[in-house]
Amino acid sequence: MKIRLLLIGILFCMHSWPAFAQEQKMTAAEMESFKQKVNGVSKKISTLSTDFVQFKHLDFLSKDIESSGKMFFKQPNLLNWKYTKPYNYSIIFKNSKIYINNEGNKSAVDVGNNKMFEKINKLIVGSVSGDMFDEKEFTISYFKSKEGSMTRLLPKDATLKKYIKQIELIFDNTENTVKQVKLIESSNDFTKIIFRNKIVNAKIDDAAFNH
Amino acid sequence: MRLLIISCLLLVTFASCTFRTVKGFTKISSGKKVYSSPYFSSAVTDYVYKANITVYGKSLSGLFIAKQINDSTHRVVFTTEFGNSLMDLEIGPESFKVNSIVEDLDKKIILKTLKNDFRLILANKHFIRNEYENGQEKIYQSKDGSRFNFLFADKKTEQLHKIVRASRFKEKVIVNFTSTNGQLAETIYVKHKNIKLEIALNYLKN
Repeated sequence: MKIRLLLIGILFCMHSWPAFAQEQKMTAAEMESFKQKVNGVSKKISTLSTDFVQFKHLDFLSKDIESSGKMFFKQPNLLNWKYTKPYNYSIIFKNSKIYINNEGNKSAVDVGNNKMFEKINKLIVGSVSGDMFDEKEFTISYFKSKEGSMTRLLPKDATLKKYIKQIELIFDNTENTVKQVKLIESSNDFTKIIFRNKIVNAKIDDAAFNH
Repeated sequence: MRLLIISCLLLVTFASCTFRTVKGFTKISSGKKVYSSPYFSSAVTDYVYKANITVYGKSLSGLFIAKQINDSTHRVVFTTEFGNSLMDLEIGPESFKVNSIVEDLDKKIILKTLKNDFRLILANKHFIRNEYENGQEKIYQSKDGSRFNFLFADKKTEQLHKIVRASRFKEKVIVNFTSTNGQLAETIYVKHKNIKLEIALNYLKN
């Protein structure tokens, strides 16, 4: 019996050991330096364009659902999130309105002063630029690994909490910009978005945000 | 006496009443007991569709994701294009379980309608009560609670292309399937006749 328990204990330790090795908590000094670097970079972002690949993971499926597209962002609040594969769907955030183009069917939603909308907008822009260190909105922890630095954000807002249990942002160690976002739902299913071919501060015409 | 006459008249009317859906078809009897629909019957396939739902002029789009999780039950998840789940259901011929649903959709009438529609699309086995045919098509009639389902299949290939859900007097829901290989439906189109609700599903190759 004792041996069996010991074996289980060892197995359990072996199982949790790789995760521990992969990500290590940052020290207070590392955290400060990391935050400064990321804030420095994100403050300088006036425009951003990037390709992205999205993986929707549902535990009961045999394969993640993959989609991809392009994202354009221009300060202070123009955002176009555009899927081109396997369907054409774009969502544009512009002047307190959301414009949707679903396979050619266009619609608009006036969100006015909707607080939730503001939060979603901030969340998307923040997820890409890295400007996400809002301790009022999230409980944040910081990790480092070979892959890059990682922040784990737990929403504090009750409404947001219902939809998102946790957000993980992985930062590129050299550029200090976000290279991967993982949105984990309460069911532990998640959406993982990987950014590729990121271009910062190139001129983006306003037409990129036309409906 | 008057009651008796009315009762007799009603009985005659009911007995002679044929469903509008099978008009122009001849009733046959092949002895077939079960019609199997192949479209959601694989336990290893992830069925992922782009979904467009139009309800009273308002539209909602996202992904319709379904998988058979045991002999008779399907897991159905509806997500936005961004990937966040709007509802997560388990649907069987008799069973129905809501794993999660966003507040805006958590209404009895919405859940009841979607449950019936999804069950109609997903069901693998239909127990046949009557059979009809014409030159090109066969219709298998099954009973579904107080309603009837009429399954339209090609006479030669037995491929399902339409289901009509009807009461004794009225057609309520029409589902059209298109499939090139007969195993997987590329498009599924659900149209309600008593409420303004349409669901269009287009298969996504993953």
